[in-house]
Amino acid sequence: MFGIFKPRTFFNLANTSLFWLKIILVFALITGLILALFFSPIDYLQKDTVRIMYVHVPSSWISLFIFLIIGISSFISLIFKLKVFSVYAKSLAPIGLVFSLISVVTGSLWGYPTWGTFWSWDGRLTSMFVLVLTYILYVSLWSFIKNYNSAEKITNIIGILGLINIPIIKFSVAWWNTLHQPASITLTAAPTIHSSMLAPLLIMFFSFCILSLIIFLIRYKYEIINFRVNKK
Amino acid sequence: MILEFFKMGGYGFYIWLSYAFAALSLIFLYYRSVKKLNSVKEIEYTYQSEKAENLSISAQVNRF
Repeated sequence: MFGIFKPRTFFNLANTSLFWLKIILVFALITGLILALFFSPIDYLQKDTVRIMYVHVPSSWISLFIFLIIGISSFISLIFKLKVFSVYAKSLAPIGLVFSLISVVTGSLWGYPTWGTFWSWDGRLTSMFVLVLTYILYVSLWSFIKNYNSAEKITNIIGILGLINIPIIKFSVAWWNTLHQPASITLTAAPTIHSSMLAPLLIMFFSFCILSLIIFLIRYKYEIINFRVNKK
Repeated sequence: MILEFFKMGGYGFYIWLSYAFAALSLIFLYYRSVKKLNSVKEIEYTYQSEKAENLSISAQVNRF
């Protein structure tokens, strides 16, 4: 069942695809940045600050998505005792951490000119802050616990418990009165954002996904070789 | 006109700082990952070379 997740499959994927992924990344990122900075219109209310959205929103989506994968991988690793899934989670965690930090910092920088404050302890911002802390805890535990099996067990539990926060982040803007605006793009309804803004947003999201994949493949290769080297 | 572009309607500081923070964080993450991979690759290469050397020595010993 888990045959496609074998280390060799991903190793081969990493060796053959990295070059082409980098080419795609360069084209997508240049296109996204040109559209975001030069061609997308200014918002009638937020003026030019809306351009921060093209970095903030994709980073938030990716940080949430990565934690979702970490949680599921942790669950599979804990239940089925498949080490490879904890390696996936371990390789993804620093990427998720960086994207969650970007989301929080750019959100604050966007918040000041629009809300008049860098930070507010409302539902969305607090739950996002909890996500950053969970990522820091997850990454730190892998660094500080030297015994691989103990680190794997504890981080798996953190990964599964951290999943509770994902729906809280997603629905916080609906459940509570927050400074943060409700989602403009959902999977169930048509986007409430104009196509001239939606296009650069989706291209930037695509670029960040490709970049995440590139870094994941590099970190995955590192983890597998490191595991082999330490075993010898 | 270029100055106007960088000013971003008076919000340039927040916008450029956001983009710079994102760019620097991602570049840092990428180079740190590459550096880590290269470090273990070197260790493994050394191990493989030593292993090959030992094999060739033992083959020579066996011949005698």
